[in-house]
Amino acid sequence: MTTRELELLQGTFDVLVLRALSWGPMHGYAVARFIRQGSDGTFRVLDGALYTALHRMEEREWVESEWGTSEKGKRAKFYRLTAAGRRALRAETESWNAYVAAVARVMSAAPEPA
Amino acid sequence: MKFPSSTPIWRRYLRILRRDVRGDVDEELRFHFEERVEELMALGLDRETAERTAHDEFGDVSTVRNDLREIGERVARRHDRIEWVRSLASDFRYAARSLGRTPMMAGAIVLTLALGVGVNAAMFSLLDLLYLRPPAGVAHPEGVHRVWVERSFESGPQFWSGFDYPSFSAIRDALGDLAATAIYTTRNTAATSPAGATSEVVLSNVNGDFFALLGVRVARGRAFTAADDQLGQPANVAVISDAYWHRALNGDPDVLGSAITIGKGRYTIVGIMPRGFTGVELGATDVWLPFAALEPASAGTWWTNRNRNGFQVLIRPREGVGSGAIDARVTRALHRPDLLYRPSDTLQVARLGSIIRARGPGRTQQEVGIAARLGGVAVIVLLIAIANVVNLLLSRAMRRRQEIAVRLALGISRGRLVRLLVSESVLLSLAAGVAALAAAWWGGSLMRALLLPDVHWAWAPLHWRVLLFAIALAITAGVLAGLVPALQSVNPALTDALKSGVREGTVQRSRVRGALVVVQVALSMVLLVGAALFLRSLSNVRGLDIGFDARELLFADLGFDATDSVSNARLEQALGDIAERLRTVRGVKQIALASFRPMYAFSFTKLFPDIDTTGRKLPTPTFAVVSPEYFAATGLRIVRGTGFGGGTALRIVVNSAMADAFWPGENAVGRCIRLQKPDAPCAMVSGVVETARRDKVIEDPKPQFYLPFGTRGFEGWKPRTVIVRADEAAQMLVGNEIRRQLRRALPSAQITITRMTDELEPEYRPWKTGAALFTLFGLLAIIVAAVGIYSTVSYVVSQRTHEFGVRIALGAQMTDIARQVIGDGLRPVVVGVVVGVVLALAGGRLIASLLYGVAPSDARVLAEVSMGLLAIAIVAALVPARRAARVDPIAALRAD
Repeated sequence: MTTRELELLQGTFDVLVLRALSWGPMHGYAVARFIRQGSDGTFRVLDGALYTALHRMEEREWVESEWGTSEKGKRAKFYRLTAAGRRALRAETESWNAYVAAVARVMSAAPEPA
Repeated sequence: MKFPSSTPIWRRYLRILRRDVRGDVDEELRFHFEERVEELMALGLDRETAERTAHDEFGDVSTVRNDLREIGERVARRHDRIEWVRSLASDFRYAARSLGRTPMMAGAIVLTLALGVGVNAAMFSLLDLLYLRPPAGVAHPEGVHRVWVERSFESGPQFWSGFDYPSFSAIRDALGDLAATAIYTTRNTAATSPAGATSEVVLSNVNGDFFALLGVRVARGRAFTAADDQLGQPANVAVISDAYWHRALNGDPDVLGSAITIGKGRYTIVGIMPRGFTGVELGATDVWLPFAALEPASAGTWWTNRNRNGFQVLIRPREGVGSGAIDARVTRALHRPDLLYRPSDTLQVARLGSIIRARGPGRTQQEVGIAARLGGVAVIVLLIAIANVVNLLLSRAMRRRQEIAVRLALGISRGRLVRLLVSESVLLSLAAGVAALAAAWWGGSLMRALLLPDVHWAWAPLHWRVLLFAIALAITAGVLAGLVPALQSVNPALTDALKSGVREGTVQRSRVRGALVVVQVALSMVLLVGAALFLRSLSNVRGLDIGFDARELLFADLGFDATDSVSNARLEQALGDIAERLRTVRGVKQIALASFRPMYAFSFTKLFPDIDTTGRKLPTPTFAVVSPEYFAATGLRIVRGTGFGGGTALRIVVNSAMADAFWPGENAVGRCIRLQKPDAPCAMVSGVVETARRDKVIEDPKPQFYLPFGTRGFEGWKPRTVIVRADEAAQMLVGNEIRRQLRRALPSAQITITRMTDELEPEYRPWKTGAALFTLFGLLAIIVAAVGIYSTVSYVVSQRTHEFGVRIALGAQMTDIARQVIGDGLRPVVVGVVVGVVLALAGGRLIASLLYGVAPSDARVLAEVSMGLLAIAIVAALVPARRAARVDPIAALRAD
């Protein structure tokens, strides 16, 4: 992987985690792998921050956790979106899209004639 | 940083109790690292590099770990809370369902608890009203003090809270700026509204500073000022209470300015007090008049008369002034020679007490003393109720043996099960608490009527303090009662209980039951002994010889208008003729005249007997001025000499107590006493009468003497009471006839007829109420105990039916079985009686001071009550015993 590794912006992290979980229940490592692979390695994810985010979301009741068995048969903690979490994902996605669109607009705007 | 390679075993087991946050966090992180290292190694890195990379990618492990733990703890706590509440709610739902399946028993438990708690709540509300609640509407009542005077006697200190006006003046002047002072007096009288309707009211005469001192403002109109309260020229104004305004005047807003009539005066209503303020006494005051309006303007300087006393004095010290300083000043002020009652009266000390009269240092009325002790009785009733509830719950638990055993077998924890069973008790006690409030309301009114019937109670009976008390007491009682059966039922022999048809062989349970019967019988014993003691005291007191033949005496009090002095003189002369005419009324045996009623008042004067008084401490006799027929009319026996006799010589009649004190061992007849002045003419003792009571039914013999009307130096004492001796049966008719005749002869006089027995009745009240309440509670207790005995014996019989069947089949007689059942059933009763006797003896000290003529340890009383209890117990046990004796052996043997 040769890409530049970008620091993930504060606040966009949660959206990515929620998005990951929207594909179904995953354990923490799977979420990390999803984000890393999904961004083709662009994002340098501090794993510790990921787990902190997951636990904080559990406290806010956006996700709920349950102990289960991983694909390889080991005991792992699985996370799942709650209804509130799904609503949060929708809201965050909308605001992210609006943000991205606004930035793109500014970037492609030509200067006004003086 | 390394985690433990796997969760230690002890942690895994702890997880059963609650979530293991630390272990979870470690395990989650461990999983992450294992996976990442594996993945990196699959990409070709060696183990060491892989591990290092994984750590680098992670960030600061220890910080993250701590953060995760913190968050985890918080989440776990919230989870636990929700779980706890949910399980509690399910416990209560379960409890409600299971109670609903046995409504009769649930009802019985609720009623029993409600009774016990209700009685206590009623007593508490009474005590609350007497001791705890300051008068409503007063600003900062803790800053207002009532003034008492303490006088030391050989028998101990005694306290008075009544003053005359000169003493109040002295107090006021002595305190000056240090405190605000007020004086007032309260009495019952009749008032006529502007519309003409007359009703009984509670009237209070208060000085101009009274309302200001209390910090009360009128709701309408204005209050009194000093200008309204000029001694000798009172303004004819009145302030009424909100309650009276609504009750007698319909809440008419135009009532200000109209006049009410009280006695001979018309008073303009100038103000209405706000709702809730009803004066400073227990009873609600309806009308306030200025203090100076106690007597009309023509009554001269009545306030200087030291015999007009009994006025209450209140003070409110200024901020920062200590009560010690006030005490000292007031004491000094009262030690003026003209204010002391006796020359040697230097022992008096002023004391400040709370505005609540019952809390003052003065000895509280006997009724209040009884109320406090009855609080103890109420507790006893509660204990009996709890014992009975425990019994009922035990039976209930017995029937649910199987259900409980199944639950235990399915894995419920014992703690959880106990909580489940106790939540049933809590539900029951909440219901009981609510029912108890109703009982307390009704019972409180009943008790107030019994104990303090002269008071028109001012406040609503239930206060939040009482509500809180009732609910708290109910829950405590319920939980206590429920604990024993609950703890017992979680320890059954599992397998035994699961099997049906097992005979209850555990001795343990019947021991608890037996103990309950002991408790109930012992407590009933205590209550019944108390009842018997009070009843005995009552009959003793009623049997006392007070000297007067009270049953045959009627009094007619004559009230003359102070303004009408001319006609007064004529009328008093005519009284002699009137008396003669009254003697002819049918049923009248004798008529006499007196300055006041017997046992109502007394007078002092200075005495100089013909003996050497140096070194001798003589008591101060009191006197009354009476007509010569007085002794015959009232039934006082003349033990020596004669009555007054005829003639103009100065004579006096003394009673035995005075004769023994002044001339011990000698004949008092013929002795001489000088009255008022040492050089006054000699008054000869012409006779000695038996000693009669002077103030109360129970008192030490008091020396008294009697003077005829018109005695020189005592012309001011005029006949004011007509004493009528008549047949007890004819008293009503005689009273009416007397009133008619008197009204015809003395049209301008106010005539009040009273029977002596009615006058004395309040004195018997303490014993009457004590007897009534103890008897009521005692009977309740014995009924509960009898039911307890019955149910216990019944239960034992039902358990041993098989055994009885076998024995009858083997030839036992019915009487043998019955006798054994009764004997077994009576064993705890006998123990209970013995314990009860011990308790009664121990607790007897507490009520000893209230009894009369019988000691708390009176053997006859104890024996009688014990026999009575045993008899009731035998009867209670008889019914199930008969059932046992009639067991059909074949049916019993066949049954399980």
